[in-house]
Amino acid sequence: MTPALLAVEDLARLYQVGGEEVRALDGVTFDIAQGEWVAIVGQSGSGKSTLMNILGCLDTPSSGRYAIRGADVAGLTDDELADLRNHEIGFIFQTFQLLPRATALANVELPLIYRGVSRWERRELAKAALISVGLESRMLHRPNELSGGQRQRVAIARALVGNPSLLLADEPTGNLDSATGDEIVRLFGELHARGHTIILVTHEPRLAARCPRAIRLSDGRVVADGPGREVATLGVAQAVSA
Amino acid sequence: MRRRLVRGLSETAESFRMAVGTLAANRLRSGLTTLGIIIGVTTVIAIVAIVQGLNKSFDEQVANLGAHTLYVDKWKWLNLDGDWYLFRNRKPIGLREVQAIQRESRIALAVAPMTQFGSRGKLSYRERELTNVQVNGTNAQYLDTGAGTVAAGRFLVETDVDLARPVVVLGADVLERLFPGIPAAAVLGKRVLVAERPFTVVGTLERRGNMLGMPLDNIVHIPFPAWQRIYGGRRSITVAVAAPPGKIPELEDELTGILRRVRAVPAGKPDDFTLNRQEQFLKVYKGLTGALYGAAIGVGLITLVVGGIGIMNIMLVSVHERTREIGVRRALGARKRTILVQFLVESALVAALGGAVGTGLGLAAAQLVAALSPLAAAVTPSAVALGLGFSAAVGLLFGSWPAWRAANLDPVEALRYE
Repeated sequence: MTPALLAVEDLARLYQVGGEEVRALDGVTFDIAQGEWVAIVGQSGSGKSTLMNILGCLDTPSSGRYAIRGADVAGLTDDELADLRNHEIGFIFQTFQLLPRATALANVELPLIYRGVSRWERRELAKAALISVGLESRMLHRPNELSGGQRQRVAIARALVGNPSLLLADEPTGNLDSATGDEIVRLFGELHARGHTIILVTHEPRLAARCPRAIRLSDGRVVADGPGREVATLGVAQAVSA
Repeated sequence: MRRRLVRGLSETAESFRMAVGTLAANRLRSGLTTLGIIIGVTTVIAIVAIVQGLNKSFDEQVANLGAHTLYVDKWKWLNLDGDWYLFRNRKPIGLREVQAIQRESRIALAVAPMTQFGSRGKLSYRERELTNVQVNGTNAQYLDTGAGTVAAGRFLVETDVDLARPVVVLGADVLERLFPGIPAAAVLGKRVLVAERPFTVVGTLERRGNMLGMPLDNIVHIPFPAWQRIYGGRRSITVAVAAPPGKIPELEDELTGILRRVRAVPAGKPDDFTLNRQEQFLKVYKGLTGALYGAAIGVGLITLVVGGIGIMNIMLVSVHERTREIGVRRALGARKRTILVQFLVESALVAALGGAVGTGLGLAAAQLVAALSPLAAAVTPSAVALGLGFSAAVGLLFGSWPAWRAANLDPVEALRYE
């Protein structure tokens, strides 16, 4: 078997809150292979946001190891982390996080600017990414001229344009109605089929159930790791019993 | 290597696009922010333009005057030391001194008495009357001390002086006011009254302009003996002595010797006369405009600091408003330095825009002053560069702290910011 794309080993993240030590993550261990589609589920406060920030190289662990393609992230400088985010990770946020005054095309071009891609190439790549999410007719619209689903598609195109190793989606359907949310989930399915590695952070069991694999966090620990359908329903059962 | 260059260029281009976009989106705010800078730059540019204009016209005036001339006088000109009483009891200077210098000096090119500082008089032609005209009793050599050139007719000649002829040469102002609309050549031979005595006009002089705001053309020249008949023989006069270029120091030594002897100053006592020079005016003048310059730059700097604080304030607001945007950019791979440059470009651009507007207004104000008053204004490229450079520097300086804050935001916090 090929080495894991991501390797997380005994990961911990501590916060100091009013003199007290809070363990947001504690002894988290898992691997994610190239091409997997994994949901990270858990109730709010379970540590899934903290885990997502670390996986996205926005935050660094207090202890433990996090490696991308076998290379440890610990000890990288701020600039190196920025470059790593630029090359390896495509972020998709719940609130889309598009620049309001920029067109869809300009928003999608943004990661390429920080990579030093020439203007012409940037334009071509961004167009291709927008076409791949079905927005060829909306390229020059600004975010406020787009629907929620369209905005999230722009954000997905922005995440895809740099051809990263990993798509990291934080509650991508949280701000969408259920029909539009389903559309977006179908798009993730297509991306998965095309070979993209996707991590989807969500508190919705319904969404997790559609992923081939899910990891459940509770109080900063991994409490379940298996096929999405099973882990998702386990959560429901727990929630009911609790 | 090439990729890094492309990255740097496209990031900077992006910074400019963003800065322009932000400014355009917040026109009122940007305008108000730059007001302080605009006022500061306007003040400095206007005053610099006026002072440079004054300097230029003053240099031209001084070049026209007797730059190689010493003026023997009882008084020290432009004496700002407050010790005028030292000069008060000096013996008056008169024809005796003029004659001694004419007889003994080997260096002097021209020696002429001049009396216009002490004597003003009434001048009339038919019903038209001028008062307060400078009446200069002098000789044929006066113009050779750098005191002007003939426009029409002639200046005084030796026989006019020897015979005390009642003839007069008119300065340009006097000609214009006493004979309005009449060409200079047509007034020759006209009889005018100088202090109620008839004189014949034999010549007029070219216009000389002002010096330190004093008109040099409100003057008439008459033979020295004729002047003495009107004003008496006891008034102290001034003696203008011209030297060849570069010989002023030698002339000074020579005149000191001659004058001490003729005025019988005992050895060891200080001189009882002063050798004045045009440069004294220049020195006082430069001191004056230097002080003006200093004050203008002081006021301008204070205003620029105030403007800079305004820019810092608005940049802090801008950073605050765009916290999430900063978080997004960082998540997409922007380095700290990129964010820093982005905000620095924005603040420098705001300030430079203010500087450009201020420079334009300042130059316009200077032109307005030049048009409405006798002051001149000169626009130099250095003044424009100064205005733009200074304001952009203020933008960079006061923008650096907000930009630093933006660059050092925690991306996780910034993304979560509502």
